[in-house]
Amino acid sequence: MSDDGTINPADGGNLLAAEYVLGVLGAEERREVERRLAQDPALATEVAFWEERLGGLADAIAPVAPPPHTWSRIEAAVGGAAAARPTSVWHSLAFWRGFGIASATLAAASIAALAYIGLLPGPRQSLMATLAGSAGQPNFVAAVTASGNSLVVVPAALLTTDPRAIELWLIPSGPNQRPHSLGLVQPGQPIRLTIPPDLVGRLGPDAMLAVSLEPPGGSPTGLPTGPVIASGKLTSL
Amino acid sequence: MDADATRKQLAAALVRVAAGDHAALRIVYQDTSAKLFGVCLRILKDRSEAEDVLQDVYVTVWRKAGAFDPGRASPITWLVAIARNRAIDRLRASAVSRRMEPIEAADAVSDPAPAATERVELAQQQHRLARCLEELEAQHAGAIRAAFLDGATYEELATRMSVPLGTMKSWIRRGLLKLRACLER
Repeated sequence: MSDDGTINPADGGNLLAAEYVLGVLGAEERREVERRLAQDPALATEVAFWEERLGGLADAIAPVAPPPHTWSRIEAAVGGAAAARPTSVWHSLAFWRGFGIASATLAAASIAALAYIGLLPGPRQSLMATLAGSAGQPNFVAAVTASGNSLVVVPAALLTTDPRAIELWLIPSGPNQRPHSLGLVQPGQPIRLTIPPDLVGRLGPDAMLAVSLEPPGGSPTGLPTGPVIASGKLTSL
Repeated sequence: MDADATRKQLAAALVRVAAGDHAALRIVYQDTSAKLFGVCLRILKDRSEAEDVLQDVYVTVWRKAGAFDPGRASPITWLVAIARNRAIDRLRASAVSRRMEPIEAADAVSDPAPAATERVELAQQQHRLARCLEELEAQHAGAIRAAFLDGATYEELATRMSVPLGTMKSWIRRGLLKLRACLER
């Protein structure tokens, strides 16, 4: 930076992220930054840096209890959103067709793989889940085996080139349930995971499966530490 | 419950929100809505606008919780960032000119009384930020603090502090560059 207060262009890019987080930009500049964020990982890293570092300034703001009706409005709004999510595997299968031949073929291949290896659950106790990413694309198909003590997971689409480990989590149904690790999954190959005995009974309909990215070897804490890249509910067929 | 456990519990709740768990969203709301409402209210200075934005914030959390990376961000910081972004967008979109707080008022609020848990959770990060802000010229630090808390533009800050726009930009940018160097040390 020179003495007359002008900013070296080399610093300008860095400062744009800081200015965005600080909140001094106008509406159009903000939209421009947000457009760039999606394509510019360096800018996204900068924004994350400033959000984390400046975030502490918010401690100066005293909490104010919102009016009670705010929660009921939120509940109503997300109730609608939940209903719009694919809840049954058949719904999801129909959904897959929209993704073109490549992913439809993959999906079909996944189901075929399940059937071929003889692990597709029998008609009496059939629990399956389609684990979709945030854009709704199916990333994994999971099925509980007929014995009920293992789970077959088939990647439905190549989802990531991320070098991090892919860990599968079970979140039992009911309030205040925490995720339990079911083990690591390999991209591009079906795997059979043994369900820990204490979790076998909790693998019912409406339990949730989720997949997160973790350090090599899996989460060191016993809880997900990285982003959740796919999730879905177990559904009785 | 200690701060680390609180943070872990909130992070775990966000992971469950990402998996579509309504009960977990309620936990996140109960733990954080007063903080985020305070943040929205401070920026918007209008209760009903702040209520609208708060609602929007938690609907966004419901949809975007999958983007939360517990290994990289603190859950409360992630939520505050969403609330600030939504509130600032609403502020920019609002045609109504808002009440301008004198800059001294903003400084007066900077003696915080945060919840004990948050205070400990952010203690390290906070300490460093406070120390780095102290290294800045008082006016630069004051402008940065006011910008963050009120979501004010360069133009508004220049008017409030009665300095030319160029001076305000220069204060904040110099302050940010110095802050960055200090934070990275």
